[in-house]
Amino acid sequence: MAMSVEEVEAAIIEKASKAPKPQLYIKDFYKCDPDRKPREIKKIANKLVTKGELMFWSSGSTTMYARPDRIKDEEGSEGIN
Amino acid sequence: MAKHDTPMLDELEKGPWPSFVTDLKRQAETHPECWDILGQLELSYEDKITHWKHGGIVGVFGYGGGIVGRYSDVPERFPGVEHFHTMRVAQPSGMYYSTKHLRAMMDLWDKYGSGMTNMHGSTGDMILLGTKTENLELVFWELTHDLNQDLGGSGSNLRTPSCCLGESRCEWSCYDTQDICYALTMHYQDEIHRPAFPYKFKFKFSGCANDCVAAIARSDFAVIGTWKDDIQIDQAAVKEYMAGNFPANGGSHKDRDWGPFNINKEVLNLCPTRCMWMEGDELKIDDSECTRCMHCINVMPRALKPGKEKGATICIGAKAPILDGAQFATMVIPFIEISKENDYENIIDLIETIWDWWMEVGKNRERCGEAMQRIGLANFLSIMNVEPIPQHVREPRSNPYIFWKEEEVPGGWERDIIEFRKRHAA
Repeated sequence: MAMSVEEVEAAIIEKASKAPKPQLYIKDFYKCDPDRKPREIKKIANKLVTKGELMFWSSGSTTMYARPDRIKDEEGSEGIN
Repeated sequence: MAKHDTPMLDELEKGPWPSFVTDLKRQAETHPECWDILGQLELSYEDKITHWKHGGIVGVFGYGGGIVGRYSDVPERFPGVEHFHTMRVAQPSGMYYSTKHLRAMMDLWDKYGSGMTNMHGSTGDMILLGTKTENLELVFWELTHDLNQDLGGSGSNLRTPSCCLGESRCEWSCYDTQDICYALTMHYQDEIHRPAFPYKFKFKFSGCANDCVAAIARSDFAVIGTWKDDIQIDQAAVKEYMAGNFPANGGSHKDRDWGPFNINKEVLNLCPTRCMWMEGDELKIDDSECTRCMHCINVMPRALKPGKEKGATICIGAKAPILDGAQFATMVIPFIEISKENDYENIIDLIETIWDWWMEVGKNRERCGEAMQRIGLANFLSIMNVEPIPQHVREPRSNPYIFWKEEEVPGGWERDIIEFRKRHAA
């Protein structure tokens, strides 16, 4: 049975909370619901940003997602640079 | 009064060219943080390493692009550039601005930023260089509410679409580049402002093969105007060029005497497919051999024009040389009609077919063109539901193996061995 949006959201939050690195690529969330198209997963992840559950972390050329409590601040972020 | 000694940078003011060092010093008179740009750059020259850190969590609420965080890694020495973020402002189609609007933009940037700009960045955006984190929302509010302009794309987003000035000033434009650029910018607002892909994705729209926005070299999805039927010839005007009465190339090389116009030397022998010749004083073109390169039309604009059945060629997968070297886009669709009547539905279908595939198979930080290269053009064409044609072939194959698909083999993989052995004894 297909996962509900709420279940996918919970899976994404769990993934972002437990991944070894705080920043994740959008592709890292695809497996949270393999039955959904990547563009649907992207929409759910971006919705979580507006809810404050995730935040964007940008290197300038690539944008990643992170749990806000896992990123300290702009200067102290454990970046990928 | 200079805040830092910059002997190496000062050398860059001595040549005959305009100098960014002089510009920065002038700007520092009203924006003292610009002294710290010079100081930090001088230090980078000494250390032979950049002192900028980039990336981080800067942005405006609801957007995941349009701002690139920049920080100094020596803020105690150069506090003026401790934060020095870049804002990318989406340019209007064809980059038309009124001077009033430009002045308002510069006033805004003088108020909240360093006043330094890059007009325009390579994707086309107006780049505003240098502001602090606390100013970002303030700039964004005034930009969107007072100046009716928006941020562009950055990161793994759809980057700000860009186009040539198209039909607004150019008789060669084979479709309305500005309209499609605006329409797709509005259609894909979510993809521009929030990350969507494994890496960046760029659209560029050129009205003809002169490709004034260099779409073929810089965009993942290049829409380049072309035509299907014959080049329109005005034989009387051809004679005027040959008689020297009309200047070649619209007079753009007139500052030097190149001698009398020679149609053989300047047009016929430079045609890449040699599809043109003279019969008496009549110019003949074998249009079936013409590659629509625009050279002859550029040289004799009053005599030759693109055909009447206009549309575009779609080339996919260009990129700059970060990973695997620079790559031109590959021609995938030789001709497609571009019509605003159907809201560019056929173009949108193509774009979304690519996205659905690339989002699935593209590796992190892998451009669409790199993913195409990895799987091979034949596979990519099959994903796009495009029948291969000779023009897709870049060079004769060097691999002798042909990997047939089951549906391409009569009878598929299952065959009646007894039937087979009747024709081929063991």
